[in-house]
Amino acid sequence: MTVLLEVDGVTKRFGGLTAVKNATFTLQKGEFTGILGPNGAGKTTLFNILTGFMQPTSGTIRFNGEPVRELAPYKVVNRGMARTFQLTRPFLGMNLLENVLVACMSPRASEDKDKEARASYLLGQVGLGGRDKEPVETLPYGDLRRLEIARALATRPDLLLLDEPFAGLGSGEIEQLAQLIRRLHREENLTILLIEHKLREFMALVSRVIAMNFGEIIAVGPPEEIVKNPKVIEAYIGKTEAEHASA
Amino acid sequence: MRSISPIDIAGGIVLVAILALAPMLVASNYLTGVLTVCAIYGIWASSWDFMSGLTGRENFGHSLFIGAGAYTAGFLSNIWSTSPWISLPLGVVIAIAFSLLVGFPTLRLRGPYFALAMLSASAILQRLCLIFWEYTGGEEGLYGLDPLIKSPLHYYWFVLGILVVTVIVLTLLAQSHWGLLLRAIRGDEATCQAAGINVTFYKIASLMISAGFAGLGGALYAHYQLQVSPPLFSVVVSITVIIMVYVGGIGSIYGAAVAAILLTLLTEMLRGFGEYRLWIYTLTLMLILFFLPNGLIAPLWRRMTERLR
Repeated sequence: MTVLLEVDGVTKRFGGLTAVKNATFTLQKGEFTGILGPNGAGKTTLFNILTGFMQPTSGTIRFNGEPVRELAPYKVVNRGMARTFQLTRPFLGMNLLENVLVACMSPRASEDKDKEARASYLLGQVGLGGRDKEPVETLPYGDLRRLEIARALATRPDLLLLDEPFAGLGSGEIEQLAQLIRRLHREENLTILLIEHKLREFMALVSRVIAMNFGEIIAVGPPEEIVKNPKVIEAYIGKTEAEHASA
Repeated sequence: MRSISPIDIAGGIVLVAILALAPMLVASNYLTGVLTVCAIYGIWASSWDFMSGLTGRENFGHSLFIGAGAYTAGFLSNIWSTSPWISLPLGVVIAIAFSLLVGFPTLRLRGPYFALAMLSASAILQRLCLIFWEYTGGEEGLYGLDPLIKSPLHYYWFVLGILVVTVIVLTLLAQSHWGLLLRAIRGDEATCQAAGINVTFYKIASLMISAGFAGLGGALYAHYQLQVSPPLFSVVVSITVIIMVYVGGIGSIYGAAVAAILLTLLTEMLRGFGEYRLWIYTLTLMLILFFLPNGLIAPLWRRMTERLR
């Protein structure tokens, strides 16, 4: 196995608040890893730092052996690290095909000569086949998430970062989307890093978990061990029980 | 993507034929002159629409590029006495140079700051023309330029031809993958970044294209008026062009060109109203923009031809 992503001592401070504190971990090629943590644990901030949307206060990030910390977001994408957004951000006023087509124009996709065919194929890959001309405005939330994934795939990523892909979806939609993500991991040989705060779907999906709380990584390990980790139980499951009690 | 259908091409040919033949039916140098200005405004408006209409970054200093092209023609013709035909390509080059000069620092700005930065840049150029009056002729500007083509009618046809080429080139670009990226930038810059697109590059490149055509129009204007003066850089020119694009239907290119022609004709036709002219003109614009926020020309044309598509 080769190391794809190395995150070393990444810290992000917003004034007095430390959103991410000394995050250190590595991802191996082909791995399916999840970042677990309650709301406000610093998961999305960490994602934004990895993908260049935010500059960390300190720390280094190496991707495919090269430093990517100072790079603009689009350059990070063209190195092979693509992301989706938790709040989906489609291009309004365009149809599904055009939404994916934009990403097919990235330098990393330059070998895909027939952009339309590639975009259409990717829509099929994520289960939106035959709907090329549909306007994006009428798309339900679950399909928007699929569209986000198709757009990310268009940049031919080595590493796919999924920011809470299941948030706001019904259980049926979650199962279908989980199947899609599992298939991409298996068939396309993608390395995937996924953020989630819901335990159940998450545990069934990933092979390794990085648990965060208050900006710090509190545990790393396979899901079966993570759910037994006292720190995780205190930070995470304990809170969920408290939520249940108050509800 | 709104693609061009045969009816659009047919409409375009009819319109261009009417415009080309109009001065022959009503033989008057006045009308020919007005139509020449109409066509030049068409070039300015469609070039503004290409960058600002597609990317949504409103450029309030288009007059900077117009003036740059015009003054290039002025200097070349007046001071170095070169052939007027050199004015056109060099006007384009100088306008593009200015777009790079202002584009790099300003296009990273978000929201209204790009608009304000462009506005300031054009105002600075207007000032500089007055400060360096020994070279620029100050308020009076440069005059005595050589005409490109002696016959006003032939010059009008030449300018009309350039307008047609401008609209065709910009429309093809807007319909291409390039135009799709510009519209994506209008939608969401962060998503463009996530899609691996170098947003700054595309914004600057589209500003360069926009500036090039504006500079070409500026040089054509200089060789029509046979003089150039500082008001070419004024914000009034920029705003006039922006209003034309909004009336035409933003992002449509052809709508901007047609609106520019109609509004220029309207100002001329209202001359009979003397001092009420500006009142009527402004009121017309306010009504159009208030009741038709998407513009008049392009939406109207699309509705009229809906069944023929």
